[in-house]
Amino acid sequence: MINGNTYQATPPLQAHNSKELVLKEQSLFLSEYASTLMGSGVHTSRVIRNTKRIGKALGLEVTVSGLHKSLILSVVADHTGDSFSTMVEIPHSPISFEINTNLSRLSWEAHDEQLSFHEIVKRFTGLVSRPKLHPIVVLILSSFANASFCALFGGDCFAMGIVFSATLIGMFTKQQMLAKDINLFLSFITSAFIASLAASTSVIFNTTSDIAIATSVLFLIPGVPLINGFMDIMEGHVITGTARLINALLLVLCIAIGMSGTIMLTKHISI
Amino acid sequence: MEIFWRTISDYNAATWTFQLLLIIIGSILTISLYRDPNEKTKKAMKLFMVFLNLWIAIIYYLVFCSDRNYYYIFAIFWAIVACIWLYDLAKGGYRLERSYKYDKIAFVLYAIPFIYPAVSFARGMSFPSVTSPVMPCTVTIFTLGLLMSFSKKINLFLVLFLFHWALLGISKIYLYKIPEDILLTICTVPAVFLYFKEYISSDICTNSKPGNHAINLILLGTCSVIGIVFSYVIFKSFGYL
Repeated sequence: MINGNTYQATPPLQAHNSKELVLKEQSLFLSEYASTLMGSGVHTSRVIRNTKRIGKALGLEVTVSGLHKSLILSVVADHTGDSFSTMVEIPHSPISFEINTNLSRLSWEAHDEQLSFHEIVKRFTGLVSRPKLHPIVVLILSSFANASFCALFGGDCFAMGIVFSATLIGMFTKQQMLAKDINLFLSFITSAFIASLAASTSVIFNTTSDIAIATSVLFLIPGVPLINGFMDIMEGHVITGTARLINALLLVLCIAIGMSGTIMLTKHISI
Repeated sequence: MEIFWRTISDYNAATWTFQLLLIIIGSILTISLYRDPNEKTKKAMKLFMVFLNLWIAIIYYLVFCSDRNYYYIFAIFWAIVACIWLYDLAKGGYRLERSYKYDKIAFVLYAIPFIYPAVSFARGMSFPSVTSPVMPCTVTIFTLGLLMSFSKKINLFLVLFLFHWALLGISKIYLYKIPEDILLTICTVPAVFLYFKEYISSDICTNSKPGNHAINLILLGTCSVIGIVFSYVIFKSFGYL
């Protein structure tokens, strides 16, 4: 997608004779590829490596400058020396390890099998348009995962059950709010509040309620942005890394605000 | 445990006339919803549900259960459920449209709030120390019944809250040995499965995986596991395991 429009490649030599137009088309595709990778939660250096690899397979030298919200690509054709620069917005898409893996694999396939540009675009379009995991499945799996976290932190069976149910409610709240394009931070605050409030009902029982409340919001922890932020800084992409870390820390702050809301309402609980 | 039954006793003794009135209003609204499901009746039912949930939050928990530990958490919980109905009343998301698929199950669920006090009496308890049809668990079952009959577009958020309440019910069975709540547990698991099934079939997520059949199998597996765990807890709490 470029600015919301689906990118469709035209067979280069049939439709355009002009080499500049081919270069433009290839550059736009590479920017689309790189922004999709960035949007699906890949750290900057990997995005650059993969994009350069595809560029090399196409006989292009690619330079990528990564910012938090956008990418700037400069593409130079090896043979002619023609160049084309483009700037693309990074889409707000959910983190997807599947897209991450598949697009990385595509870059190796392009490199090893010397795929034509048209074939790369065809495979790319196929990969990004694959069906996503159904939200209900994500809901159930997240709840099981959170209940398992509760067990890992020493929660008993009742606490695990409560965390499972609290995560169902919290995660569903998050899914619905994000589906309605409600502000991300507000969605996180509300989801954390709802999930921890549901988990706080465990205090009436002689159970590990402190662990239940603490682990009920773990599904919201922005683990991938935090890791990517650190990796970006370690690999020299300080601006992107810092921006990602700040964004992730803001989300952590939102979780804390949501939990604080619950604790303020139920302030007699001794956690 | 003693406080638990004392608060119930105080609540019943002081509010039985109001409870009776609520039962009558609820019954009239439910019957009219089946007979003439127009916009006015639907709005009236939603308004009644807001009132009923606020009743549980304020009258039951804040006024009569204030001797119990952490009563305010449950008051907040029920206030949120009331807010869900209120939001629905304002926005009109859940349209209370009859699906006709699960009417028989719904009628069984409507009957259960009246079986609750019968179970209490059968256990040798006497009024006012008995469970009544206007208490959190019975209101949960009534809501499940209502949603079951009018399930064309499910308010899943509400269902999840009710499921959470049922989970608390199972804990009450285990810790306080209250057999009445077995009814709530038995009703909730299959009901939740059916709600999710309906939600998935009415969902517009076309480009998603796995397919509806596979998701239903995952749901069935999950609900079966929950059902087995619930059964284990029930049997264990009464010394059969």
